[in-house]
Amino acid sequence: MAQIAEELRIKGRREGMRLAWKGRASSWATKAFIYLLLIDISFVFLFPVIYLITTSMKSVTDVIDPTVYWIPTKIEWNNFTLSWKALHFFDWNGWHAWPNSAALRSAEIAVAAAIGQVISASLVGYGFARMKFPGRELLFMLAIFTFLVPPQTIIIPLFIVYKKLGWIDTYWPFIVPAFLANGLRGTLFIFIFRQFFRGLPWELEDAARMDGAGPVTMYWRVMLPLAKPAIVVSFLFSLVWHWNDYFEPTIYLMSQEKFTLPLRLSIFWTGLDEITGGQASRVFNEPLIMAASFLVIVPPLILYVFTQRLFVESVERTGLVE
Amino acid sequence: MSATTAPRVRRMRLSLSKQQALTGYAFILPWFIGFLIFLAYPLFQSLWLSFNNMENLVNFQLKYIGAANYIEAFLIDAQFVPMLITVIRNQIIDIPLILMFSLFTAIVVNQKLPGQGFFRAIFFLPVVIGSGLVVQQLFGQFNADPNQSGPLVRGIDVPTMVLVLGPEAAQAIFDLMNRLSLVLWRTGVQILLFIAGLQGISSTLYEAARVDGATEWEKFWKITLPMISPIILLNAIYTIVDSFTDVFNPILNYIRGLAFAGQFRMGYAAALGWVYFVVVFLLMLVVFWIGQRHTFYAGER
Repeated sequence: MAQIAEELRIKGRREGMRLAWKGRASSWATKAFIYLLLIDISFVFLFPVIYLITTSMKSVTDVIDPTVYWIPTKIEWNNFTLSWKALHFFDWNGWHAWPNSAALRSAEIAVAAAIGQVISASLVGYGFARMKFPGRELLFMLAIFTFLVPPQTIIIPLFIVYKKLGWIDTYWPFIVPAFLANGLRGTLFIFIFRQFFRGLPWELEDAARMDGAGPVTMYWRVMLPLAKPAIVVSFLFSLVWHWNDYFEPTIYLMSQEKFTLPLRLSIFWTGLDEITGGQASRVFNEPLIMAASFLVIVPPLILYVFTQRLFVESVERTGLVE
Repeated sequence: MSATTAPRVRRMRLSLSKQQALTGYAFILPWFIGFLIFLAYPLFQSLWLSFNNMENLVNFQLKYIGAANYIEAFLIDAQFVPMLITVIRNQIIDIPLILMFSLFTAIVVNQKLPGQGFFRAIFFLPVVIGSGLVVQQLFGQFNADPNQSGPLVRGIDVPTMVLVLGPEAAQAIFDLMNRLSLVLWRTGVQILLFIAGLQGISSTLYEAARVDGATEWEKFWKITLPMISPIILLNAIYTIVDSFTDVFNPILNYIRGLAFAGQFRMGYAAALGWVYFVVVFLLMLVVFWIGQRHTFYAGER
């Protein structure tokens, strides 16, 4: 029922928008102008990415050559193999050993934290949206307040807490707070789920209650299946933010085998020296560091290419902004 | 008969609402535990720490020194106050820039045109790669040579014509353009929220305006802007929060350096953290206050 209603609502909206904008984009001149604007703005975003990719393929001679600005004379694959090794992107040590892989470390943290944040934030968001209990508004204000506290302010006592728990140099500081609806921008996900659940009709719960469903069944069988857009948005945001996170890993992770990709990127030259025995030139180093940067963003980029449609649509359907 | 059933019904009802309240608490319990351990406790602990000096790093032994850390921050430390002023000034410049650019982009991309999905995908790229160290690479701040500016700063060329305005004004424009290219990389989430907001505006409003003969310009000011104003406020607050963990945030790096890299001045770093929190919180209150006065909520009369 709700799904149909939701679909109708969106359809109606789309139809309405089409009508509303019809007059606007009708003339050719307006259309051309809008495309011009779109291309212009895209350039701002694409320029660095194109620069990153083309530079990462350049050889040292291309860097020195002033006539080569964009397109390298030949693709220097060596940049990627060197960067791959220096980042310890994926060191395969045979079947008997767990690979020494920064990419795997990053993925472990990102996936575990994203799953944790989705599970806990959906529970908590449901509680805030649909349960009546004294102090609900106050508690929700506290949750919002959490979002406004800069990590700079609490990072030192937090470090001490983790130290006492014995969690320094482990992945628990990223995963446990995530499963408790905290962690990296945890409040934002609570907020997303709360907004989403608030938008669902109350009749759903009344009907389920009539059928004798308890609160857990209600959440698990009725509400969560409807919350797909909120789940998709929260999961992807959480995944990408944890993947790119740099500040917290620098503080909580000590030993290099446990480093995530951004941390490996920050000690790239040390890693390179270990691989080459200090032979690699740092003078015309840009292609190497660009190749390394490229490797770091490739996994989220691939994920994004496959999910961007789902992602954008889901954001529109979460009711986040109503 | 009725006298005996009435109290029982009331007791039933009471226990039902109690039961519901307990279920509610059970649902938010994970967050509350996390809140106590990972936010409330560290927050108070850091306040206490800021009035102390950490004497021993192994068992975290503290010595009470009163407001000495705060006095040092404002009177002795030559770096912190200018850094704080820079951060706040940049915020004040960045917020309107980010809001205007993202609203503009959202409106343009919201037009029903072929290929619009493609452009949306591009405008959302910064969220995928923009939050990490990679952008820092691109902006050249991570390079061994600090004077070398990254390719992005070269992306927007300022015509040398502006020099006729005088060196002060020219410098201001150069600064603005440099900031602009950096700032545009922090707009992904904001653009997306604006798009979602624009789609939420009822089309009947636009139709009514068209019937009344309103121009596009008038429609923007009288319909789009008021209807989208709550999201402008949301985005302004989000932008401030987002900048906390920005790789370019100098306070972040300064505090990390003080607390963890060599110096281990935990108490002093905690004091700086609190000064930063209070100042940013005041800034947020100002933004919220301005925003509230100009925000239109459709439900209200």
